[in-house]
Amino acid sequence: MTKWFPEVLKKYKIYSVFDLLLEYLKEGRIKIDPTRHPQRTTYHDPCNYGRKSLKTFGIGYFEEGRIITKECAPDFVEMYPNREGNYCCGAGGGAWAMPFKAERVYYGRIKARQIQETEAELVVTPCHNCRDQIMKSLNKEYDLGVEVKYMWELVADSLILPGQDKGESEEKKGE
Amino acid sequence: MMYEFRVNELAQEFGVHRNTIRNWIKSGAIPAKEGPGRRYLMKWSDYQALCEKFGKTPKKPPTSTGAEEEEKQEITPIHLKPKTQTFYPDPSWADVCLTCGTCASACPIAGVDGMDPRKIVRMAALGMEEELIETDWVWKCTMCAKCEEACPMNVEIVQLIRKIRSLRPRDRVPGPIHKGVINCLERGNNLGIPKDDFIFLLEDLSEEMAEECCPGFKAPVDVRGARILVTVNSKEPFAEPDDMKFWWKIFYAAGESWTIPSEYWEGVNWGLFSGDDEAMKTIVGRIVDNLKRLNCEGLLLPE
Repeated sequence: MTKWFPEVLKKYKIYSVFDLLLEYLKEGRIKIDPTRHPQRTTYHDPCNYGRKSLKTFGIGYFEEGRIITKECAPDFVEMYPNREGNYCCGAGGGAWAMPFKAERVYYGRIKARQIQETEAELVVTPCHNCRDQIMKSLNKEYDLGVEVKYMWELVADSLILPGQDKGESEEKKGE
Repeated sequence: MMYEFRVNELAQEFGVHRNTIRNWIKSGAIPAKEGPGRRYLMKWSDYQALCEKFGKTPKKPPTSTGAEEEEKQEITPIHLKPKTQTFYPDPSWADVCLTCGTCASACPIAGVDGMDPRKIVRMAALGMEEELIETDWVWKCTMCAKCEEACPMNVEIVQLIRKIRSLRPRDRVPGPIHKGVINCLERGNNLGIPKDDFIFLLEDLSEEMAEECCPGFKAPVDVRGARILVTVNSKEPFAEPDDMKFWWKIFYAAGESWTIPSEYWEGVNWGLFSGDDEAMKTIVGRIVDNLKRLNCEGLLLPE
């Protein structure tokens, strides 16, 4: 969009998923119940939001996802390496849809090991591709036994909705 | 000659999980037969082929007598032709690469198909265009940019990979991504979901959500003057519609003014992956039109 429609950028504001969620949190437009996700949680940096965004647009989204995740799941642990040094899940660049499944699973072996080493029970990521690869492929292939959520799924599941009392949080735990 | 292995050993050798080896045996990716004592047998040549695929050195055959002749390898010379296409804008670019191989050591699939980022860069510098366009490796690469981050000379390896992808004839782009691009151009989204079905689904989900947690909720379609225009990843309405509710719930809680366009709501641009700039531009242009048509203030990208 920067390349083809520069005039549009001046007129409209482009929100990434981080910008909007952070805005809601800062302005107090949404309320979060941090007790609903007591399990140990880690965050996977998607290549496109981090390393590649930094290179293409000069901004890498590294801290934003962590701030949001920690709000909802306080027992937070990092994978190593992380941020711009993070390893790809193995399904980016269209690879999730490619007919090269063996290679894709092989690619993900490093990510699987990283996740295992954190001993986290929940992996949070703001990318559709990464979530699918970790949840539907690596989790089974490498017996990780983790739960995987989109970042906005984590937020939605932590929401205290208007007119809702604390009773709801007990119900949610059963899921 | 046969090669005998246990699942565990092979898993360790290739750095994958036991399940993965079992799955590969089941799917035929490893042509092995189960033998006694939880051991598997495969032809030595199949084992060699497997090693080659992932860039591993085969272990010495266990039955070898040691007197085996070293196979003489015929090395066919590579004939370089004059350049017809250019993979990089500036000729000096070819000299920038130090051939140090740091990129290859950062790459999680270096060795697969005997390829790695360093080889790609060298092949481009040598003008081996046909070979590059033919290799499936550039499609197995996820363009994660680990190589580029590691490169001390800032060689733009990811853009090179994308350029190579773009030169593959469109009917031979692997997998569904080119079909997705065509679908999106002709029918408005990558998976070709008709407008009526999409609207019906949104209404249905809205009713569910109003009952479950959010009284009075209705997903706003084509609302002029909404603050935020929301795009959708077509896999959600196609296969995982309930996942759209996560964002809807957040909008509901935040009291946001938002809207989904009834057409051209696709938020995923596969032109980025297939290397198709023209299609990519058209698809972005439609989102811009929607912003103007519905007079929104901002746009939310889905991922």
